[in-house]
Amino acid sequence: MATMENFKCMLCGHEYQELVEEGEDKERSCPKCRSNSIRHLKKRASQGDSDDKGKKTE
Amino acid sequence: MNVSGYIGNFTAEIRRKARYVDPEACTACAECAQVCPVVKPDEYQMGLSSRKAIYIPYPQAVPSSYILNMEDCLGTNPIACGKCAEVCEPDCINYDDRDIIVKRDVGAVIVAIGADVYDPTEMDEYGYTRFDNVITSMEFERLICAGGPTLGHFVRPSDHERPKRIGFIQCVGSRNPSIGRPYCSNICCMNTIKDTLLLADHYPDVECTVFYQDIRAFGKSFEDMFQRSKEAGTRYIRGIPGDIEEDTETGNLTLIAENTTSGKIERHEFDMVILSVGVGPPKDLAKISSLLTLSKTSDGFFMESHPKLKPVDAPTRGVFFSGFCESPKDIKDSVCQAGAAASRAGALLNAGQVHIEAITSVIDADACKKCGVCASVCPYGAITWKKGEVAVVIDAACAGCGNCGAACKFDAITMRHFTDAQYMAQIRAILAEDPQDKVFVFACNWCSYSGADMAGISRMQYPASNRIVRTMCSARVSEDMVLEAFRCGAPVVLVSGCHYADCHYITANRQTVQRVQRLWNKLEKAGVRPERLQLEWISAAEGQKFAKVMAQMEELRKTVTEEEIEYTIEALKPKPRKPKKEKEAAAVAG
Ligand SMILES: Cc1cc2nc3c(=O)[nH]c(=O)nc-3n(C[C@H](O)[C@H](O)[C@H](O)COP(=O)(O)OP(=O)(O)OC[C@H]3O[C@@H](n4cnc5c(N)ncnc54)[C@H](O)[C@@H]3O)c2cc1C
Ligand code: SF4
Ligand code: SF4
Ligand SMILES: [Zn+2]
Repeated sequence: MATMENFKCMLCGHEYQELVEEGEDKERSCPKCRSNSIRHLKKRASQGDSDDKGKKTE
Repeated sequence: MNVSGYIGNFTAEIRRKARYVDPEACTACAECAQVCPVVKPDEYQMGLSSRKAIYIPYPQAVPSSYILNMEDCLGTNPIACGKCAEVCEPDCINYDDRDIIVKRDVGAVIVAIGADVYDPTEMDEYGYTRFDNVITSMEFERLICAGGPTLGHFVRPSDHERPKRIGFIQCVGSRNPSIGRPYCSNICCMNTIKDTLLLADHYPDVECTVFYQDIRAFGKSFEDMFQRSKEAGTRYIRGIPGDIEEDTETGNLTLIAENTTSGKIERHEFDMVILSVGVGPPKDLAKISSLLTLSKTSDGFFMESHPKLKPVDAPTRGVFFSGFCESPKDIKDSVCQAGAAASRAGALLNAGQVHIEAITSVIDADACKKCGVCASVCPYGAITWKKGEVAVVIDAACAGCGNCGAACKFDAITMRHFTDAQYMAQIRAILAEDPQDKVFVFACNWCSYSGADMAGISRMQYPASNRIVRTMCSARVSEDMVLEAFRCGAPVVLVSGCHYADCHYITANRQTVQRVQRLWNKLEKAGVRPERLQLEWISAAEGQKFAKVMAQMEELRKTVTEEEIEYTIEALKPKPRKPKKEKEAAAVAG
């Protein structure tokens, strides 16, 4: 199932939404500046501070 | 059924299906099929004729003997019919035959499981399920074949009359993102051109019309065939029909299409319409992928080790691809690839031993905390791990990407010649003086580092502030390596690697993305501007992109203040780990 998710370009700051298919394997680039520094914002919100558990989420 | 082991040492378990007929004794007299009461659609003839439950799968089958399809048989336990056994003079039918699992030790594996032909049932606009005289190119192959259900007499299904006006629709199930098949199936244009020539040869009065998007006739002598088809009278109309109508009395079909050359909507009447169907990944692809740790490209076919340099090697060592399953291709290209795969496998077997680069992963059994993370991230399945046990690297299967080394949180993994200690020393040395003036770059060996080379040899101009450290894969860059660069005063850190499709370690760079995501979160939490960490995919040919990215990084560097750098150094200082006893005491007290 596809879900609409939030992304932010860490180079130019552009924020945008994109449909993400379940299990998709896609190279991302900023629709505005083509940078590959694309931060997946939804993940951050839904996972809380799971960032500290790097080894669990590898 | 199953494959275990690694290059030079695979064990394959193969199911040999029961035939229920002794192939040595069977004389192919056909007595059994004559008495068999079961009638089923013949799969080989695309269901255009029938077969019995006991049959020869197709005329060229080897061995040329009958088989009994137990799913179709009326029953053998207890025997419900038994007629075939009664009439078989050489007595070669054995209802008690069973599948056998055979084990083979093999040094190499060639994957050649073909592709699946597109089923146009879902594309209702072409009326495949509604109109008898709409058939697929596969069905056409059977109808025009001397060994086919009509013995090569080309007739249409509705009235068994020979059609005179035939319309071909190209790209059915290909180049169509809306049905998840955006790629070109490669074979259908030439197959249609061949079919129009066949028809012109057999029936000079037949009129063929081909509706197409582009005609892809790029192989040797293909353009010549295309021209011959046109000279033989085939009409080529650029435009794919959007609708089809049937005259219920005659069974004739009208295609409605925009001719994109004239810009007009046209209606064309035909006696028969042939859907030139494309191909898709084989149904067993996922199963075979999991057996051999393979992955697929965005179009769903198997991914080769490298699209240019290793086109028949699978990323898993000792595994090779042949034919359709790697990408849609014609017989000539399939045969070329099969030859190449056999040669690669033969060279490997003849060598008797495998040389591996001395950059493989080593696990320190004492330091290993048995968490299994390394095994889960290794794209090659080169690490074996069981719950509660120390992880073990299979040297022959390890490609040396370093993903496991970056993932292990307990410093239990050393990458030979690319150790953590070496990287930390490089980071500290590079940033020992004037770190504020430097952009720190991690570049992967295969793509981004080569992209830097390309920029250099092409004499491209870019700011001189960057300092590059080479890793085999971007996935070798651990969180700690990035944090150390910031701790040493780097204003900007760039992690760079191959584009997704070019990753030299199957899918290792997807782990890079996850690591960078986590680092952005960590930096933000520590009050450090996460934008100071950047990620870029730069291919070996993208010297220009490398130069552009370096200019962007330099612009970013200029925005980073001395205060930010000082704050970062403090904020990212590793927190002293509480000794174990203290922790336990705190837990008891808490
Ligand atoms: C409609 C159509 C027309 C075509 N016309 C032409 C043409 O005119 N000229 C031309 O050059 N090419 C043509 N081609 C292309 C040609 O068919 C392919 O190039 C060729 O068949 C590829 O060979 P292959 O061995 O890779 O795959 P295949 O021929 O598909 O063989 C793969 C085999 O693997 C078997 N298999 C699948 N899964 C498993 C499994 N899990 N275990 C064991 N076995 C398995 C399958 O049963 C099959 O026998 C056409 C293709 C189509 C679809
Ligand atoms: S990640 Fe490290 S600690 Fe965990 S199993 Fe692998 S080597 Fe051992
Ligand atoms: S270096 Fe790469 S290939 Fe080798 S074991 Fe580690 S993750 Fe697997
Ligand atoms: Zn951007």
